[in-house]
Amino acid sequence: MSNLSDKIQRKLNRKISRNITCREWRCSIILEGKVDTWEDVYLAGKLAVNDKYKGVVNKIEVEGLDIPKIKKPLLEDKYLLDKEIDVLIIGGGVIGSSIARELSKWDISVLLVDKEDDLAMHASSRNDGMIHPGLAPKPGTKKAYYNVKGNEMHTKITEELDVSFKRTGSRIVFYNKYMRFVTPIIKARARHNGVKGIKYLNADELRKEEPDISRDITGAILMPSAGILSPYKMTIAFAENAVMNGVEISLNTIVSAMEKKEDKIISVSTNRGKIYPRVVINAAGAFSDEIAAMADDQFFTIHPRKGEAILLDKKKGNLLNSILSNPALFKIKNTSKGGGLVKTIEGNVLVGPNAYEQPYKEDFTTNKNSIDEVLKKHLTLVPKLSSMDAITYFAGIRAATYEEDFIVEKSEHVKNLVHVAGIQSPGLASAPAIAEDIEKMAIEILSEVNDVKKKSNWNPIRKGIPKLNLMEYEKRNELIKERPDYGEIVCRCEEVSKGEIIDAINSLVPATSIDAIKRRTRAGMGRCQSGFCMPLVAKILEEESGMNMENVTKKGIGSEIIVDETKKHRIEGRGKHESL
Amino acid sequence: MNPYDVVILGAGPAGLAAGLQAHKSGAKTLIIEREDKLGGILKQCIHDGFGLKKFNEKLTGPEYAGRYIKMIEDENVPIITSTFVTDVSKDQDGFSLSLVNSKKGIYEIHAKSLILANGCRERTPKQIFIHGSRPAGVYTAGTAQYFVNILGYLPCKKCVILGSGDIGLIMARRLTLEGAEIEGVYEAKSIPSGLSRNISQCLEDYDIPIHLSHTITKIIGADRVEAVEISKVDDRMIPIIGTETIVECDGVILSVGLIPENEIAESLDIKLDMATKGPFVDQNLMTLEDGVFSCGNALHVNDLVDYVSESGEYAGENALNYVKNIESKKERKLIPINYEKEKFLYVIPQFIDTDSDNKKITFYLRSREVRKNARIQIMGNSEIFYDKKYRFLKPPEMERIEMDFTDIDHLDAIEVIMK
Repeated sequence: MSNLSDKIQRKLNRKISRNITCREWRCSIILEGKVDTWEDVYLAGKLAVNDKYKGVVNKIEVEGLDIPKIKKPLLEDKYLLDKEIDVLIIGGGVIGSSIARELSKWDISVLLVDKEDDLAMHASSRNDGMIHPGLAPKPGTKKAYYNVKGNEMHTKITEELDVSFKRTGSRIVFYNKYMRFVTPIIKARARHNGVKGIKYLNADELRKEEPDISRDITGAILMPSAGILSPYKMTIAFAENAVMNGVEISLNTIVSAMEKKEDKIISVSTNRGKIYPRVVINAAGAFSDEIAAMADDQFFTIHPRKGEAILLDKKKGNLLNSILSNPALFKIKNTSKGGGLVKTIEGNVLVGPNAYEQPYKEDFTTNKNSIDEVLKKHLTLVPKLSSMDAITYFAGIRAATYEEDFIVEKSEHVKNLVHVAGIQSPGLASAPAIAEDIEKMAIEILSEVNDVKKKSNWNPIRKGIPKLNLMEYEKRNELIKERPDYGEIVCRCEEVSKGEIIDAINSLVPATSIDAIKRRTRAGMGRCQSGFCMPLVAKILEEESGMNMENVTKKGIGSEIIVDETKKHRIEGRGKHESL
Repeated sequence: MNPYDVVILGAGPAGLAAGLQAHKSGAKTLIIEREDKLGGILKQCIHDGFGLKKFNEKLTGPEYAGRYIKMIEDENVPIITSTFVTDVSKDQDGFSLSLVNSKKGIYEIHAKSLILANGCRERTPKQIFIHGSRPAGVYTAGTAQYFVNILGYLPCKKCVILGSGDIGLIMARRLTLEGAEIEGVYEAKSIPSGLSRNISQCLEDYDIPIHLSHTITKIIGADRVEAVEISKVDDRMIPIIGTETIVECDGVILSVGLIPENEIAESLDIKLDMATKGPFVDQNLMTLEDGVFSCGNALHVNDLVDYVSESGEYAGENALNYVKNIESKKERKLIPINYEKEKFLYVIPQFIDTDSDNKKITFYLRSREVRKNARIQIMGNSEIFYDKKYRFLKPPEMERIEMDFTDIDHLDAIEVIMK
């Protein structure tokens, strides 16, 4: 045992538990043992972080705590059996999908797999949709670099991919007029990170932009490059453009093992057959450490940091024009999360999110205390907002490493493996910039064995599903004349037509469940929360896709929306009435 | 552009009655319905009990709607279906509406008066802040009813029902008859929300237990509902820690309240009453915006469809009267109808137009609490216009009072009092 790991072990033994042991493995430190609480596991991981190590691998367990294994798809088939491909991307979040698009520029075969029934099912759909300006990350980190670069790239990319994007700017508010004296410090950090256009707004200037904010707010720092978009629509757009250019996507596909020969991955086992990839990209989000472990290359650990957020009725959207953040963002501690109010691209107000450590990577439950606390903390920013305006709320899990920075690199020990891990906030903003670098790494690896060429006919332009209710009447009329289904409104709250729903079902990454249609079209996302349109959407899905109503699901196999036809189970004479 | 006299939004029981009345009285009328069939929510209410007051018969929902649809057809009342109102604004004739459908695309019509008969929607699980996971199998009672009665599918085999609103009670019986097991009905309040007759006919007759002062505190199950956590609540309806029990089930049906749909009213900046969630109206059911009327469940959630139709008729008649007098139009002289908020949930109308020729006023009101032997009085300037003793007043059961106010020009307010 080296002096350093010895020293760290002594520290952990003293501060947390005598049952923790530390050892070095390659350039990382591995923690093992058993403790009483998850807080201790987390704390041990944090305390073990050291510049001298590449990463902390935290294998400490909690006495008596059973953490469920990864949730597996129910599908089993041979769809991918013996498939040979140049690049396998594991994970269909915004990172995997943006990488797929970058790689689709090359004349190679690319397969993206995701274990869920649709893309963007974990962190990529469970966030606030903010394209961060890049002030929050610590200068010099990968986070800071990719965030600022990725932010800039969104202007062009959202246009190419037909994704609505608005640079509303974000405003960090102050409740104390002396806070404006920190402006130079913030500006220095912004300069360091390359964030442009930052300025201080006094109360009057701020109220001109946000007239309904609390009277207690004395000023704000404006970061004009911050923007908003729909994170799942962005992910789907990346993926659809990739598919247009030849990338294959296999959903409900989970990677269960890898076979290595010397220092290369030879094959990857899935529930749909064994695949033979030349390069593997680990973009598995909260599970990226487990994927790394399959290749015997785990040098980091993901500790799931959960957040919960609330969406308010569009009716109240007029009370907010941009993004307001509560000031915790300034703390140097990178894990702190201010949260605040975000006017979403669709016009709702999003409240939150919060952030807390907990052991479960797929626990998307919401909790009363958490939601109440988030509402209490942020609604005061705009006093006319009320918890009665809430139409829904959700939870997400951030894939954080103990080092709290992104991992974007070729494996040091497995020749054909690339890691994109620890992508927590600002991952959405950073995605296109990260994807460019991963593209280079993958192509370098491939070029060592093959001659790799760019496609001459790569098409960067993707058209999304038209949003008829946002169109000029003339244009809308034209489309309805062409396809009358665009004139039949199915979702009354969000004014979504049958034509848009059919488009989602027949799109390049087809929507095969009620929730998948919802994410693509917004049918069911309004104030009635699909009470009226859900059965209608199910009917359209049944008709368009040819599946039976019994197989129509909310979000994939196992979540069937009905259990049976009526009459089959009727028990004659049950109850005191013979019949109704 | 030749404007309509009266345009009615919605062809449920309120809209059909309003359109029929306006048309019969001679108005150039149009009813607009977003669905392809007429009747609104009645289409899926295949249980009986409709029409006792209106037709002196016990009808099913579709039968009740059928009566009106037949009258509409016999009278040739103009009606367009599968058409969605995407925008309403004021113009020099009154109102301009942008409609969208698959046949004509998007187009405009104009109206001198509008009747909002949009009905209501169900409160969702999120609006009552139910937590836990988000699996399939959690439905509002109306959605479950649509699956069973319109599409012919069973949404669950063993379910719990949260809330004791009427549709929830009716679905308890309906699902039982279709072979599903209802584990129980849970109601956070200490008294049921639905009508007494539904408690007896839908629960007691089928041995379905109702658990008052209980609520669901967590939904469990990743893909489909697997169980719910039930907790007792205190008298402020706050869950009591330590009383949690887990009940296994594959479905949760919610019947936790209805909310009048007034998004169009709001887009016209029409003021809503927080008590009813519908617009403030005078005795003509005209909202505080001249020329816009409200009726049925968009005005307030009614207990019986018969009253929904009745308010539609009033709105239809009064909208035409408004149009006839549009030239000589003067400001309304509105006096408020005041009531004690701690005794009544609401009283409709909220105003009386003392200049209006209509002196016949129909009050709809609900008591906030169950009361025995209470007296309701309607007064103005210490003059008693109405005085009646009620053996029972219950929040789920609406009271209707009809009276004549011929000489009220001198009053500045009406008081509704409970003793």
